[in-house]
Amino acid sequence: MADLKPALVSLLRAAYPHPSFPDAPYERTADTILGQLDEDLWHRLALEHGLANLDTEALADPHSEAASAYLRSIEDAEFFAFVRGVTVVTLYNDHEVWDLLGYEGASYDKGGYVERGFDDLDWLPDPRIEEYDGPDALQPVADADQPTAKA
Amino acid sequence: MSTSQFGTPIENDTEAVVVVGSGAGGGTVAYELTRRGVPCVVLEAGAWLKPEDYENDEWAAFNQMAWLDQRTTSGSWRVSRDFPNLPAWIVKAVGGSTTHWSGATPRFHEHEFKTRTYYGDVEGANLLDWPITLAEMEPYYDKAEIAMGSTHRHGRPPLPANNNYKVFANGAEKVGYKYYATGPYATNAEPYDGRPASIQDGFNFQGDKSTAKWSTAVREIPRAVESGKCDLRTQCQAVQVTHDAQGRANAVLYVDSEGTLHRQAASVVCVAGNSIESPRLLLMSASGLHPDGLANSSGQVGRNYMRHLTASAYARFDRDVRMYRGETMAGIIADEARLDTSRGFVGGYYMETLSLGVPFLAAFVDPGTWGREFTEVMDAYARTAGMWIVGEDMPQESNRVTLNAGVLDPFGLPAPDVHFDDHPNDVAMREHAWGRADLLYESVGADATHRTPPYPSTHNLGTCRMSERPEDGVVGRYGEAHDVPGLFVSDGSQMTTGASANPTLTIVALAIRQAEHIADRLGKGEL
Ligand SMILES: Cc1cc2nc3c(=O)[nH]c(=O)nc-3n(C[C@H](O)[C@H](O)[C@H](O)COP(=O)(O)OP(=O)(O)OC[C@H]3O[C@@H](n4cnc5c(N)ncnc54)[C@H](O)[C@@H]3O)c2cc1C
Repeated sequence: MADLKPALVSLLRAAYPHPSFPDAPYERTADTILGQLDEDLWHRLALEHGLANLDTEALADPHSEAASAYLRSIEDAEFFAFVRGVTVVTLYNDHEVWDLLGYEGASYDKGGYVERGFDDLDWLPDPRIEEYDGPDALQPVADADQPTAKA
Repeated sequence: MSTSQFGTPIENDTEAVVVVGSGAGGGTVAYELTRRGVPCVVLEAGAWLKPEDYENDEWAAFNQMAWLDQRTTSGSWRVSRDFPNLPAWIVKAVGGSTTHWSGATPRFHEHEFKTRTYYGDVEGANLLDWPITLAEMEPYYDKAEIAMGSTHRHGRPPLPANNNYKVFANGAEKVGYKYYATGPYATNAEPYDGRPASIQDGFNFQGDKSTAKWSTAVREIPRAVESGKCDLRTQCQAVQVTHDAQGRANAVLYVDSEGTLHRQAASVVCVAGNSIESPRLLLMSASGLHPDGLANSSGQVGRNYMRHLTASAYARFDRDVRMYRGETMAGIIADEARLDTSRGFVGGYYMETLSLGVPFLAAFVDPGTWGREFTEVMDAYARTAGMWIVGEDMPQESNRVTLNAGVLDPFGLPAPDVHFDDHPNDVAMREHAWGRADLLYESVGADATHRTPPYPSTHNLGTCRMSERPEDGVVGRYGEAHDVPGLFVSDGSQMTTGASANPTLTIVALAIRQAEHIADRLGKGEL
């Protein structure tokens, strides 16, 4: 069987183009996808056939209009849907990707974020946290919507 | 893990109050009955996960406790396309969905108990006034808020402003909203009721390891188990409720983790499996006397399924927000939660802060999308603020839970199918809410906002609804089936209509009221 990984990685790079991402997270995602094929003959058939016929030249520059136009043309193919389904739950579950996107994840063992920036946004004024206690009580029903008003 | 027993054993042939499910409704009923000395058997399909078991990782936690048994969907809702076997995002574990929930606890408005009167005859909607009023519910709302420790209520202080709230509340102020605050939320801002203050750890849809957030898994169930009156059996799934020759509920059949069927005798049965499993159980309990399903002489069991409007909006800024730091939800705007048909729809909606981590944002922000349109949203993750929109959706008879005999669960029982179509009123309200969210975020400098469609349903309501007349609904004013004495429905499926408020405070208030009623009647020998 041909090595499917290079074609799959170029497909992933073009379908999920992040200028800041190196190859490693895409490669790990490709491994996960390929690892699922042993248990899944239908997706193995679809993916092997799909990747064998992939126009990798069109995908050479993952950020190009040519790449996205090509992907739109294969958008409905079963293998592409399968790849997307696994990628969206795998690539974005990769801790290197979390770092790249600025997501810090679990904090409980570090005492939470209470001392680590949960309220460090400083480009807006500190808002009120109490409920409104001014003169205008919320009017739950507009005057025109009182049943008596309609009768 | 396999079937376990906690608390004080009760014999299978001893008639007890049998509670199906240990979530908001079932956990509360069990606690309120056992503390009055009434013996209860609680059957819970899931395991008892403890705070130290919770995973602070979105997918790991989801796989640990979500209800993942086979379900199917039909209808035109987008969930059916994107998540065909996941109509709902709810929990199978002790505590039910209160382990996942995020704690918003607004009350219903008075008119929301009387939608047929106030909204009139909305075409295609099966509106009905509740048989109870806000005035009757108020004392129970108080008790529920005190039990759950709602912030801004009964002396509980507000949660502090986190980053996501700062954007949300500044936007609210700019567009002229007044009724915004960091709560009410049932998460401790300071220690309360034996549980600590929030450490703003950013995880609570995953179970709150710190226990600052109320759930029946940290309050009602442990207390019931310690009362000496409760027999909690985990990984025991109720599969049928039976009745005697007179038509009274008399037992619950359940399956343990080995697949063995057991029978627990019952004086009273309280069904609280959430709005998909509760009607499924009644439909699986059809008998000669109840050929269309137990308690279904009205034909309404499984119908009028509601899931709240729901939608989200995620806004990108040119500076950091870091919404994931701090409580997942801790901000609410009530200005649109009112009846004002000049907006083009009946009912109202709340806006509430919401943060998802990278894994869930990727899966849910716009399911199925890819390419730069999608990665731009993800690249802006650290600069993103988010809100959830929760509003009243219309009950429709055709939105319905049925048995799908073609698809079986692991026990070989018919899977539930959840059919849902949006009502035009739901669509109009959602468009309005997205428009308001855009304005709010633009007013504080958003570069772009993304309109996110409803997630698999976290609020599931209405499938055994309460009605004054037996022909209009399944249960009466205390949740007892109109046509099966001794059978109560104790969860969100009793809701006649859904209101704009998140449902759990009302579920808990109804359960406290129901337990008081059951204990009272048992005491008088009437049940
Ligand atoms: C992510 C998320 C966030 C939420 N946030 C909020 C919020 O901020 N505010 C709010 O008000 N609500 C919120 N909710 C909704 C809230 O969790 C539910 O409304 C509430 O828990 C429903 O209570 P219930 O008793 O109907 O069902 P649940 O709490 O779901 O409990 C049902 C229990 O019954 C068990 N069960 C089902 N069938 C059987 C059976 N046949 N035999 C034995 N056991 C069975 C289940 O395993 C489960 O433990 C949220 C929900 C989710 C998922």
